[in-house]
Amino acid sequence: MFLELEHLTMKFGGLVAVDDISFSVNKGEIHGLIGPNGSGKTTIFNMLSGYYKPTSGKIVFEGKNITGLPAHKVTQAGFARTFQNLRLFKSMTVLENVMVSMGHLAKTQLLNVMFNPIAAQKENDLFTEKAMKLLDLLDIRQYAHNLAVSLPYGTQRRVEIARALATEPKILLLDEPAAGLNEVETNELAEILTTIRQSGITIFLVEHDMKLVMGSCHEITVIDYGKKIAEGDCDCVRSDPRVIEAYLGKEEDL
Amino acid sequence: MKKNPKTLKLILFSIAGIALLIFPLLAKNSYQVHILNLVGIYMMLSLGLNIAMGYAGQMNLAMGALWAVGAYTAGLLNQRLGLSLWLTLPCAIVAGGLVGGFVGLPALKVRAHYLSIVTIGLNEVINIILVNETKLTGGVDGISKIAKPALFGFKINTEQRYYYLILIAVIATFLISRQILSGRVGRNFRAIRDDYKTAPAMGVNAGFYKLLAFIISGCFAGAAGALYAHLNAYISPDIFEHKTTLFIMTLTMVGGLGNLNGSLIGSFILPVLQEYLRAIQDWQYVVYGLAIMVVVLFVPGGLMQVFTLLKPYVTMLTSRFNKLKSGTTVGEDSNVS
Amino acid sequence: MRELSVLVQTIIGGIGIGSLYALVALSTSMIYRSMGLINFANGSIYMVGTYLGMIWYRGMVMGLQFSYWVSFIIGILLCAGFGVVMERVFRKLADVDLRNMLLGTIGLGFILDNLMIIIFGAEGFAVKSPVSSKPIILGSIRILPQNILLVTVAAILVIALQIFLTKSKTGKAMRASAQDRDIARTMGIHVNQSNAITFAIGFGLSAAAGILAAPIVYVNPAMGSAVGTKAFAGAVLGGLGNIPGAILGGVSFGIIEAISAGYISSQYTKGISFIIVLVVLMFMPSGILGEKQVDKV
Ligand SMILES: Nc1ncnc2c1ncn2[C@@H]1O[C@H](COP(=O)(O)OP(=O)(O)OP(=O)(O)O)[C@@H](O)[C@H]1O
Ligand SMILES: [Mg+2]
Repeated sequence: MFLELEHLTMKFGGLVAVDDISFSVNKGEIHGLIGPNGSGKTTIFNMLSGYYKPTSGKIVFEGKNITGLPAHKVTQAGFARTFQNLRLFKSMTVLENVMVSMGHLAKTQLLNVMFNPIAAQKENDLFTEKAMKLLDLLDIRQYAHNLAVSLPYGTQRRVEIARALATEPKILLLDEPAAGLNEVETNELAEILTTIRQSGITIFLVEHDMKLVMGSCHEITVIDYGKKIAEGDCDCVRSDPRVIEAYLGKEEDL
Repeated sequence: MKKNPKTLKLILFSIAGIALLIFPLLAKNSYQVHILNLVGIYMMLSLGLNIAMGYAGQMNLAMGALWAVGAYTAGLLNQRLGLSLWLTLPCAIVAGGLVGGFVGLPALKVRAHYLSIVTIGLNEVINIILVNETKLTGGVDGISKIAKPALFGFKINTEQRYYYLILIAVIATFLISRQILSGRVGRNFRAIRDDYKTAPAMGVNAGFYKLLAFIISGCFAGAAGALYAHLNAYISPDIFEHKTTLFIMTLTMVGGLGNLNGSLIGSFILPVLQEYLRAIQDWQYVVYGLAIMVVVLFVPGGLMQVFTLLKPYVTMLTSRFNKLKSGTTVGEDSNVS
Repeated sequence: MRELSVLVQTIIGGIGIGSLYALVALSTSMIYRSMGLINFANGSIYMVGTYLGMIWYRGMVMGLQFSYWVSFIIGILLCAGFGVVMERVFRKLADVDLRNMLLGTIGLGFILDNLMIIIFGAEGFAVKSPVSSKPIILGSIRILPQNILLVTVAAILVIALQIFLTKSKTGKAMRASAQDRDIARTMGIHVNQSNAITFAIGFGLSAAAGILAAPIVYVNPAMGSAVGTKAFAGAVLGGLGNIPGAILGGVSFGIIEAISAGYISSQYTKGISFIIVLVVLMFMPSGILGEKQVDKV
């Protein structure tokens, strides 16, 4: 198994945000995680990426138990993520934002980059070259030297994805990447997701845009009030009565 | 012939370089040189603080104490073991770095306001140790008769000669700071400053870089301490109190946080301003306080922000000037900006 | 038995000094709560407040001389008025980041300290206590009346403040605007006005602490610097922005100080107190009663 969540539970005081959830994500697929607002999707991502320590339960990645590892270790293990509300480094250009993510892969010794101008330059050049390729992939090369936070919303979303990819992950967690995008941008996003998947990276997607989810995902898990209520492929989930009920009266339609 | 900005820069640099080199020869008395020597030491301290606070966003309010660690390490090694500056300096750097790392440990747990009171507290603790461990530190009397260094028999025993030593040290500190910040380490510092929560998701070990920032500021303070001890020949705890920390912070911020040039400018302007303000006696500190308030309220980015604000105008003026010289009229290029 | 009474006496002394810290910590904490701003000049305001009261007690203004308690009230009112004026300056600081805020209030402290030196000179004066200096003897415990006075007046002020905040309309508005400025605005609360009242109260509390301290310390322009830092430490210890926390933190800081001075080492007192604050913060990073910061991403 590639990624397995075993009986994950997260409590905040009296609130059980995630309640005994188990499922697995297959390698090379796009796996969707959906559910109404406040159902615990981001909380699951936060546990997976090392931001929250689960109250109980286990996360197993490629056979290794990674539960409770600090966030930077989880990233080193092969996880990358974006944030639901844009969180780009505000003093940095697009290029620098992406280059931050490459630090943990660097081969040059720390003291060497600190005090040896030649080694530092070499590393910077290498990072720049790699980052530029990612910017090309996301079609944002022309913004490389712009302050990231000064860009339009949709572009910033792309920078976030580029920044996450720069950590060279095995699995990419995307938290509502289509939020705030218009239809054209969402379609472009779908294409980007396909390209990323084709390059061998598994995608774990939280998204409210059902067209995107249904169009891209191989497998979907549905949660409500922190509990898993359904899973399976698109058709199977779409027709599940519990899913329909969970979404009933809410704007999202399946 | 058209001047490009590079040559202009080179010319400015050469003028500044020559001015710095011949300053001691032009100075009216050795007191003026002494002030400049202190300015140099403040520059080193401010660069250290700027890396921790300006770049890595860590509230290191113990710079005075870290400076003391360097000064006392050098002073004691010289007094007890007779070591010269060339040996006490590296020891002071190491000691400053170690204590800096220690002071930074709480940053792994607390941040912002909480970190500032903790580091203020540690500054006090170190100062109290200096006052009370009389056997080791000489207590309130401090350490005196610290030897001036010599290089191949050439005694560096006047303010003028020491000036060149400090000049070299400042240049070295500046270049090292720039080098450290130019690559991965600098980016990671800024990442934890900009958003300490998301940086770890990019693989940045936030705790490690927080500590590293404290260690670097400690090393710089240590070096500044050794240079100060051997320059002044006398050190005592009151030099390194909380108010010294605030002074170092003030010059860094008036110059401009997150900008190394800001450290140089702030460290120069404030001590020199203080010398001029001496004439108005008690009012000097009021004026000083007002100056700080004006900077904070109107140019929160420090004096470097003033330069950034002025830059477009300067560029515009120089380009107009160049155009006038080369014969084209200003209007023609108004669509090229 | 003898040791126990010494300990009790030490603790009572600590509570006395601690109530002063608590009042100043309360001021720090309330201003923080209303604007998110740490007032590093609070020690200076404590000092200015002392002068604003004691100049009347000592008849330093146009020969006017009042009793201690009348001077106490005039001092508090004048300092509160000063707070209203300063709120306008601080309003601008509240929008900048922590580091600038720090520097701005430090600059203010600088100005105040040195203005007072210019006006009143660097040497200070002693003030006569309104109560007798003969200790009250309860069994084997000796208590100074001044100490009882400190604790009583501080307690009265804190209770009055609590009643004002929870019962009065203005107090409720202040609490609402401290919680969320924007929501308060939509509720029709004048946020700036309620901040000005917070400043008036905060500055008044600092003045009260200073005037209460005047008979036991030497009144001089440097008297505030140590108190300001300790009160900040107390506020942080209790949990910044938390009113019961500020009282708890301030009083605890006083007790810790008294005990470490009496039993461990008088030279290391200040150091030990800070170390204890540090240790507490390592286990409770937001102070004893402070809300746990949620690391939401
Ligand atoms: N750090 C925290 N402390 C307390 N409660 C939290 C915390 N993080 C999340 N919660 C609560 O857990 C529940 C689930 O929140 P979560 O953000 O995971 O929902 P979500 O499914 O991502 O919703 P949305 O679609 O709105 O993003 C919510 O009730 C939220 O208030
Ligand atoms: Mg969410």
